[in-house]
Amino acid sequence: MLKYLRLFALFVKSSILMELEYRANFIAQGTLGTLYAGISVVTVLLVFSQTDRLGGWSLDQGLVVVGIFIAFDGLTESFIQPNIRKLIDGIRTGTFDFTLLKPVDSQFMTMFRYMRLNGLMDFAAGVVVIVIALSRLGLPVSALQVLTFLVTLVMAALIIYALQLMLATSAFWFVKVDNFTEAFRALYDTARYPVSAFRGLTRLTLTVIVPIAFMTTVPAQALLGMLDGALLAGSLAFGLGLTALSVALWRRALRSYSSASS
Amino acid sequence: MSLVRKYASYAKASWAGMLEYRAQILLWMLGSAILVVMLMVWTGVSEDNGGQVGGFSTVDFTLYYMIGLIVRNLTAVWASWELDFAIREGTLSPQLLRPINPIHNHIAANWVEKSLRLAIVVPLAVLVIALTPGAATALASSATVGRIALAALAVFGAWVIVFFADYLIGMTAFWTSQTSAFIQGWYGLRVVLSGTAAPVQLFPAALQGALHWLPFRYMLSFPLEILLGKVDSPQVIEGLLIQAAWGLFFMALCAIVWRIAIRSYSAVGA
Repeated sequence: MLKYLRLFALFVKSSILMELEYRANFIAQGTLGTLYAGISVVTVLLVFSQTDRLGGWSLDQGLVVVGIFIAFDGLTESFIQPNIRKLIDGIRTGTFDFTLLKPVDSQFMTMFRYMRLNGLMDFAAGVVVIVIALSRLGLPVSALQVLTFLVTLVMAALIIYALQLMLATSAFWFVKVDNFTEAFRALYDTARYPVSAFRGLTRLTLTVIVPIAFMTTVPAQALLGMLDGALLAGSLAFGLGLTALSVALWRRALRSYSSASS
Repeated sequence: MSLVRKYASYAKASWAGMLEYRAQILLWMLGSAILVVMLMVWTGVSEDNGGQVGGFSTVDFTLYYMIGLIVRNLTAVWASWELDFAIREGTLSPQLLRPINPIHNHIAANWVEKSLRLAIVVPLAVLVIALTPGAATALASSATVGRIALAALAVFGAWVIVFFADYLIGMTAFWTSQTSAFIQGWYGLRVVLSGTAAPVQLFPAALQGALHWLPFRYMLSFPLEILLGKVDSPQVIEGLLIQAAWGLFFMALCAIVWRIAIRSYSAVGA
């Protein structure tokens, strides 16, 4: 375990050094992230300019969802995307072999090797949106709310990580999957709104089939004290279940991996 | 005449390329899903408010976003990504040796790709409109022959603005390595301001005034407004003129920037 923590610290250090090398890129991508955060907020403000409630949520409650959406977008950009791109490239070109040769767990190596700092701008923007929304609401936030918020947030992160990793793992079978992450992106766009904004079958799909609801809506409900036991249980089930599934799929994929080179 | 023949052979080559990369194009098309998401959000809002918000009924939203889906795919362009790649990797150099401007290849490929996009998007739009009560009759009454003709003209005008603005952004790769950030930034602005996030008529009045003069509205929303009868005749004429002005502006800028860029271009690895 200590070895893995030390390795992780090394990964962070080398990623920071790399980022310092490409400063123009960092500034461009960071600005872009902030622009996209603004666009997310404006998109939701436009909807609320025509209505007081969106699926039963007020503007300030809805902004908590948007804030979580933006923050996760940043974390994905910083921690998940760089690794997934490297993995897909590695499988296609055969350089993934080198990952397998290292005397560390291959999934750890694949998931944490690369980090980009520019997503941290989005993350900060998302936190700012949440704080503004909370202060406008002026509600007291109890310790239980904070605790359930943190739990559902960790579960949401696990769900996002597991889903993306599973999409990327399919690269072992279908080599050309560069754009599978696009597919995730298209679905994730729905997480900008409270899931109750959608009706009938769509809402059901976004809750139980593709658990978008557990990424942003449920953590927001926890923070606002609107969470019930069933949702908390669902959050835990999806978070832990999908993580286990992604690990199983990863092991399965490794067994059927026969390098691209030679 | 010879340009027509060149286009024909470019189109043939692009057709083969498109069939090979059809899965790729399908995934690119997922970007259009945002229109479906916005349709669902807005129909929910309209149902919550007694079936109408800001003059848009549930049927209006359905027609707006489903025809918008078709217009968006008719005007979809990704030449900038390819141009950025060609400039950075130096594959532009052999293209420059040919006795024809590479932009013609991009235009031919773009038009060929529309067939595949339409084959997917049109049945989907027709299905959704047919399944929405009242949508088909509302469309039949608002889409007169004259409006269809004017809307078609406006779709072409929209494509001109989208294509040449996109190409212009792609050309920034001659001077910077951050072109992809520009492409994505421009795309983000379009999502909000062109009428994707919300129809332009639902924007606050002050913003509507600005959108009237900016190019974004004329890249998606304007042909839809014509077809659905949201603008009257003088507004249509004024809009078409503003659209034409923006189209010509981006075309001229493209021609000028291309000339400057080519003079100073020294390829990577050439």
